[in-house]
Amino acid sequence: MIAIQSLVKRYGQFTAVDDVSLEVGAGEIHGFLGPNGAGKTTTLRMIAGLLKPTSGRILVNNHDLAVDPESAKASLGFIPDRPFIYEKLTAGEFLQFHAGLFGMHGNGVGSRVSEMLALFELGRWENELVESFSHGMKQRLVMSAAFLHRPRAIVVDEPMVGLDPRGARLIKDVFRKMAEHGVAILMSTHTLEVAQEMCDRISIILRGKIIARGTVDELRSIAGGGDAHLTEVFLKLTGGSGLQEIDEVV
Amino acid sequence: MFGGIGLAVAAALYEGAFWLTSQLQSYAELGDYLLRLGLSWLFLTFLSFLAFSGVVTALSTFFLADDLKLLLAAPVATRRLFLARFLRTVAQASWMVVIFLVPVLMGVASAKCVGPLFYLTAVMTITPFAVIPVAAGTAVTFILVNTFPARRARDLLMLMGLLFAGSLVILLRVIRPEQLLTVQSLPEVTDFFATLQSPVTPLLPSFWAGETLFAGLQGSHDLLHLSALWTTALGSIVIVSTASERWYFAGFSKSQEASKARFTKLRLLDSLAGALPLSPVRRQLLVKDLKIFLRDVSQWSQLLLLLALVLVYLYNFRVLDLERIPYMSGVLKNFYAFVNMGMAGFVMATVAVRFVFPAVSTEGAAFWIIRTAPVSLSDFLWSKFWTGLVPVFVLTEVLTIIGNEFLGVDPFLKVTTALAIGAMSFALVGLAISLGARYPRFGADPTQAAGSYGGVAFMVQAVLFVLVMVALVGWPSSLYLLGLVRRRPLTTAQEVLMIISFATAALLSAAIWLSSMRAGVRALQRMGE
Repeated sequence: MIAIQSLVKRYGQFTAVDDVSLEVGAGEIHGFLGPNGAGKTTTLRMIAGLLKPTSGRILVNNHDLAVDPESAKASLGFIPDRPFIYEKLTAGEFLQFHAGLFGMHGNGVGSRVSEMLALFELGRWENELVESFSHGMKQRLVMSAAFLHRPRAIVVDEPMVGLDPRGARLIKDVFRKMAEHGVAILMSTHTLEVAQEMCDRISIILRGKIIARGTVDELRSIAGGGDAHLTEVFLKLTGGSGLQEIDEVV
Repeated sequence: MFGGIGLAVAAALYEGAFWLTSQLQSYAELGDYLLRLGLSWLFLTFLSFLAFSGVVTALSTFFLADDLKLLLAAPVATRRLFLARFLRTVAQASWMVVIFLVPVLMGVASAKCVGPLFYLTAVMTITPFAVIPVAAGTAVTFILVNTFPARRARDLLMLMGLLFAGSLVILLRVIRPEQLLTVQSLPEVTDFFATLQSPVTPLLPSFWAGETLFAGLQGSHDLLHLSALWTTALGSIVIVSTASERWYFAGFSKSQEASKARFTKLRLLDSLAGALPLSPVRRQLLVKDLKIFLRDVSQWSQLLLLLALVLVYLYNFRVLDLERIPYMSGVLKNFYAFVNMGMAGFVMATVAVRFVFPAVSTEGAAFWIIRTAPVSLSDFLWSKFWTGLVPVFVLTEVLTIIGNEFLGVDPFLKVTTALAIGAMSFALVGLAISLGARYPRFGADPTQAAGSYGGVAFMVQAVLFVLVMVALVGWPSSLYLLGLVRRRPLTTAQEVLMIISFATAALLSAAIWLSSMRAGVRALQRMGE
């Protein structure tokens, strides 16, 4: 599970994340929505250990990230929005390296690497350098690394960017299966159809603060939108988007 | 500062050319002959330089530049794009030659007291002279890129260039040019110049340029060779432009293809690393760093040049003829042991700034992988330290030990300098790793990191440290050696001072090493704040 308590991140006078608390239980897929610059990526990067919070507490699988970062990170898989990987390693080597970092060794590593490459349809690229991969392939490779060490929690930032429909379907299936196996998944996305289809609960963040949380139905009732699509609910809660101006500009 | 250095070099070139031409004028016809030969030789050198520079520059301007995708998507005619890029290629490939030639030709012209028409002739000569080899180089690039993918062609060229430079350095040193300066070797000098003349020479643009300028210096005109230069230059532009219409887009399209994997099977490396007594994490970090290094030609190809310089360095000690002054040879040998130590220290600093300082930066945008893994940043940085230390330690110890062996220095000095170099390598590698962690450049080319703020700061501190170490080790050693020469045992006070000096050197190295590493780890930890 993932639990964050009163998380704050300030850059000088600017507060990017303001007193955010959140809990993702085992087996839950939790959507994290918000407009650009709302504080989603900052929050996820703090959970992944890439940014130090100004205040607040982060627990991953009951390990406090500030007190015992190595245990917390060992039970977490992080998938960033942009898949930067070592370009001069092959897909197989990258996963072997990742396994080593997470303390996996012995004979089982090779078969686990092959298993993950096969799951993410990268098996025939095992011995190819990452530099020859497309964005979608790199994204799938990062995901296979995130699941390689059997984490108990996953933090994923924009998982569908750059994926073709087949890749997107595959990722959705993998996430569902992982959740069925008790993995807690916190996922930020701009694709509201994906959130509506996959997430058990959704938190909406605006200007660093959580403004609404619940299932899609609960969010609809908060927004007072009847059976509106999640996009309408999102726009209503986050203050619209000035769409009416488009016609004038065009 | 760089502008000042540039002006000083230009002034020196002007003065040198002026002085040489004035000297040659006192030999009448022989002087003219040598001046003509010199001009031909100068332009022949530039011809090969411009051709090679043209190949490398065209690869960048025509195939690898970032703005090409935008330009090729725009409605610009291929011929116009070619001409614009070609102009840029000529300018980029030849600016160094032009900057060198301007003060040299001005110096020659001043010495010969020629009129302003000569300068017009010079411009009219150098322009087509620069165009011809660059056009030839561009044509070669078109062929290369249509044969290999552009990125592979770049690697190939880089390797060829460095092999060429390395061989040239070794060759120039091994032919022992200092011998040409002795009176006994005068016949060889004339032979040397004679070899520069061959039946092919008059067919080269360098000969035409030399002849045109020589005629200009005599106050006349050589329209035949000037016409040859211009017609060849314009003809080569037309030919390459026509070729570009057919081959350029095909080559550019091919340059978008990724290069095939090299050294994809590095099983031996995996097996060797498996045999090392390392934790799984450190083993994986080591294997990853070595694989990335081996697969990136821009990283390891510079080692070839370094190897050539090391061979030259050792060769210099090998041929150092100290026996010519027998009564001084003992003192000189031991003095050279400290020169050797200082030089090895500077080599160490140079190698460290090029290969160790960028160690953290080479993680690039993929550094998030380390930072989100259950690995402490201290473990990560120490792994980088040991990976950098081993090659630096081995290289500089080899330089010191073999250099001292060639010199035949006192055994006490052999041991002292070897120990000092060992201590220095710990300190300098630690300092380089630390400053690399404090001033990382994740988005930049690691081969350029030495010129960054952190790289310069490292070099300044490293040079100071080497000088202090040479003083701290050299002074007590000189006390010991003087005692040996005078056959007088050392006093207790001298012995105490020696121990204090050696201990200070060891403590200074250890303090720099450990405090640098601590500062480096802290800098990495602060990255997330």
